Amino acid sequence: MKPAPFEYHAPTTPAEAVDLLSGLGDGAKVLAGGQSLVPMLALRLAVFEHLVDVRRVEGIRGIERQNGTVRIGAGTTQAAIERSPEVAAAVPLLARATPLIGHFQIRNRGTLGGSLAHADPAAEYPAVALALDAELEILSAQGTRRVRAGDFFTGLWTTAVADDELLTAVTFPVWAGRGGFAVDEVARRHGDFALAGACVAVGLDGEGRVDRCGIGLFGLGPVPLRAPAAESAAWGLAAGDVDPVELGRAATADLAEVPDDLHAPADYRRRVGAVTVARAWRRAVEEAQGG
Amino acid sequence: MDQPTLTAGTTRYAGARIARVEDARLLTGHGTFVDDVVRPGMLHACFVRSPMARARIVGVDPAAALGLPGVVAVFVAADLNPDVHESWYTSMGAAMPDPPKPPLAEGEVRFVGDPVALVVAVDRYVAEDAVDLVALDLDPLPPVVDYRTARESEHLVHEAYPGNVAGEIGGMPAEMLAPAFDSAAHVTSATIHQQAYLPVPMETRGLVAEWEAAGGELTVWASTQSPHEVRMFGARLLGLPEHRVRVIARDTGGGFGQKVLPMREDMCVLLAARKVPGALKWIEDRRENLLTAGQSRHEHATVRVALDEDGALVAAEIDHVQDVGAYPMPWPVHAGAAVGVFFPGAYRVPKARFSYTGLYSNTVGRTAYRGPWQFESVAREVVLDIAARQAGIDPIELRRRNLLRHGELPYTNASGMAYSDVTPLETFEHALGLLDLDGFRRQQADARATGRLLGLGTSSYIEPTATGMGFYGTEGATIRIEPSGAVNVYVAGGSCGNSLETTVVQLVADALGCDIADVNTIQGDTAVTPFGAGTGGSRSGPMLAGAVAETAAGLRDRIVAIAAHKLEAAPDDIELADSRASVRGTPAAGLSLADIAAAAYFEPASLPDGVPPGLEASGRYHARAMSVWANATHVCTCEVDPETGLVTLLRYIVSEDCGPMINPAVVEGQIAGGSVQGIGGALYEHLAYDAEGNPLSSTLMDYLLPTIAEVPVIEYGHVETPAPNPGGYKGVGEGGAIGAPPAVVNAVADALAPLGVTVTQLPLSPAAILALIAEAGGGAAS
Repeated sequence: MKPAPFEYHAPTTPAEAVDLLSGLGDGAKVLAGGQSLVPMLALRLAVFEHLVDVRRVEGIRGIERQNGTVRIGAGTTQAAIERSPEVAAAVPLLARATPLIGHFQIRNRGTLGGSLAHADPAAEYPAVALALDAELEILSAQGTRRVRAGDFFTGLWTTAVADDELLTAVTFPVWAGRGGFAVDEVARRHGDFALAGACVAVGLDGEGRVDRCGIGLFGLGPVPLRAPAAESAAWGLAAGDVDPVELGRAATADLAEVPDDLHAPADYRRRVGAVTVARAWRRAVEEAQGG
Repeated sequence: MDQPTLTAGTTRYAGARIARVEDARLLTGHGTFVDDVVRPGMLHACFVRSPMARARIVGVDPAAALGLPGVVAVFVAADLNPDVHESWYTSMGAAMPDPPKPPLAEGEVRFVGDPVALVVAVDRYVAEDAVDLVALDLDPLPPVVDYRTARESEHLVHEAYPGNVAGEIGGMPAEMLAPAFDSAAHVTSATIHQQAYLPVPMETRGLVAEWEAAGGELTVWASTQSPHEVRMFGARLLGLPEHRVRVIARDTGGGFGQKVLPMREDMCVLLAARKVPGALKWIEDRRENLLTAGQSRHEHATVRVALDEDGALVAAEIDHVQDVGAYPMPWPVHAGAAVGVFFPGAYRVPKARFSYTGLYSNTVGRTAYRGPWQFESVAREVVLDIAARQAGIDPIELRRRNLLRHGELPYTNASGMAYSDVTPLETFEHALGLLDLDGFRRQQADARATGRLLGLGTSSYIEPTATGMGFYGTEGATIRIEPSGAVNVYVAGGSCGNSLETTVVQLVADALGCDIADVNTIQGDTAVTPFGAGTGGSRSGPMLAGAVAETAAGLRDRIVAIAAHKLEAAPDDIELADSRASVRGTPAAGLSLADIAAAAYFEPASLPDGVPPGLEASGRYHARAMSVWANATHVCTCEVDPETGLVTLLRYIVSEDCGPMINPAVVEGQIAGGSVQGIGGALYEHLAYDAEGNPLSSTLMDYLLPTIAEVPVIEYGHVETPAPNPGGYKGVGEGGAIGAPPAVVNAVADALAPLGVTVTQLPLSPAAILALIAEAGGGAAS
């Protein structure tokens, strides 16, 4: 199909971008990598009178190691994140989630900011941001505000970013000490959206007890989810005393709106969601104990 | 049998993996597909399609669309449908009962996607904008979505078909086989279900139709498997003299049965072509292709097989019911009956019967798809594994006891099909040898001990190819050796990936003793080539070989006679090789084909008595047999993850017998493509509808095709049993899609058998597999 007619804008500074967004109202949409938006426009599932292409906007690309955090520009491509030694060393959960995103062609164009702002519930990056309590920077004509990942995803394909705002950067905490990080997902084919998936970050203290834990779930609701019940169940236990299967069950027991569609009914997603939590947990703990 | 032979001397090209003639242009982006055709003043078409599965058409208002700048016309049923002169397919004949086929929907829409109006605009973008502006007033009606309950429904898809029955046919009545079943040591019954799926050609449907009013000529660039069918059907449709309709098919990106016949959209574009001021182009997009090009494979059957105490088959029966959608290709009964007739397959089955029922539904109509009758292999191979397990026999052993072997041929099966020159058991053993059956069973047992589920599945089939019947039974060729010595071969074509440009030059080069670089082929233009039925029915290899044999033999004799005369040698002493004629023993003294051609055209007085001037010939091959039988065995191993239901294919092996091979690379390409389509059908592809008849898989995000990441490297074994026709070649195009689904299903079933699971339904999605495990009482997470 061909998209409906639209006006195309290509600002070069963040200020110009948010000025445009503020002036054009809700008939305008930010275009970054286009890997989700362009197919939707072509199928006419979404119609926008104005596209504001942010690929030439300065200052919203790049990976910066700061004190105890890594700050990544929203316009940074997934491919750049995949190649980055800083991210691999300092935010392994993000690095390990990246190769699971579609195919390399998609990652050459798709961006960190685009993935988070589109907020597909089956996407990896939103769950990683949740699991690590990342902080998101949002720019408007009034200035920058910061939103925690836990407050960012507000509904199906809906985030805290308003129509006149632009997501500009995401800051991830660097976990010090003994940590383990793993992502596991179940998809029909290589590169497909996950039917269910989990990302697990676990930190162990000197005695091998869990002193830090973040479990993010994707594909299991209209938004990415944390698993607070499972996390608090594991907290304080010796890593070896945590039963991964029980942990998986705890993480998925109370899920309310598990998707049900042609590819999998809800109970299948819930079951394999538990399996992905268990598998990711095992790998993360193995890494934390070895390190 | 007096069939002409195919080779002038030693075969040089046939049998070799010659690089494809087509590749140079296709792999560098220089092919000419229909969307590459640009004509001056060309306009673009887009269809308004029904959003409902069934509704009464109250009104179609084009006013707002006509007001959009760039819109040239909006046609509704009243504009196009009355212009139909005759509407029937040459390949089926005028007398074949035709399911309804209005170009645009009138009265009622009958499936989501049913074309209701045709918008013509200056480009496709504007056309799509205009489609959104056409006001469709529809009065919803209750749709018949599930064909399995269509017979009992109070609602009719088509008024003229009570019970929604498109047709029924049967072999002998069930009572006649009852004694065989009643007295058998083992009887196994199962109901096997296959989902709707479809060919997904890389190039969707499309055509450009250009009417030139001054001369009254219509030129059609078509994405088609049969340019001549498009011409003949189109000329009749529009009431045009046939010689004023020219159909050109350059490159076509996949057909698989979806492009064998002009469909309703093609009819609309042809009918509209004379009403618009420029060439009219319609290119289907992927969503339309998945919504409206047609569905296949949607059927189920209750099957029963009976074994004696030694595991020999004594009887088999299939009661088969098929979904034909709302507007199927004609004629469903004929195509559907093939399932029952071929059900006994390549096995020794003394008694068999079948019944067939085709039912309409408010979904897209059934279309042909590579081996349209392949459900006979799905049903048979799956139930044979079930029967084996129930009788306590290894499924491999059951095959060994019952597969036909070359030595016992000819064999007439229970349906009256007479098989000859096939090797079912031989390909079975060959494939298992390539696998290392014992090695796999050890691997399987070791894996089982650690909780991993590995499985092995086989499927063996026999398929009819290169039929000699009707429209398909002959193939013509014209060979012109030009005055320059260039050899040009004209055949009808219809290639959509079948490598016909390569195989035909291999054959002609051998037949005339030419260097292959001197041979060219011209295909896909009805103004230029002889009539041919096109591709389909696994016919092209054998039929082209026959056409070349018929045509080249006489030309070769003339070349030899001219050379003998000029070289003062006996014709028997003349050798043809590398586009030269020489006397045996003195290769340096000879004449080039260019020299001979120059003499034939420019110095006819120098030719020997009885040899006519020029070097051109036309011939037409008649295939004698109703079918040239080909066979193969597919073997598949897999691992099933019991926690997620995901299936990983480990090895995929095909031992096939298509006789000698014109080009082994082409044969393997055909097998690979068909096998991947079959793997897709077994595990991934599903053209699904919801309860209201809304399609659920209208993009490639939801309609899942296997990619190279899902398919192992396919291993090939070749058995070569010649058929009686020229060259001994048999068809091979459809086999992969027939053999693959049951091999994959059986592999999964073998992996799950220790859990007490029986598999009777496709596709085997991960959710379906976990549900089967849970139902059988297994399946807690590890």
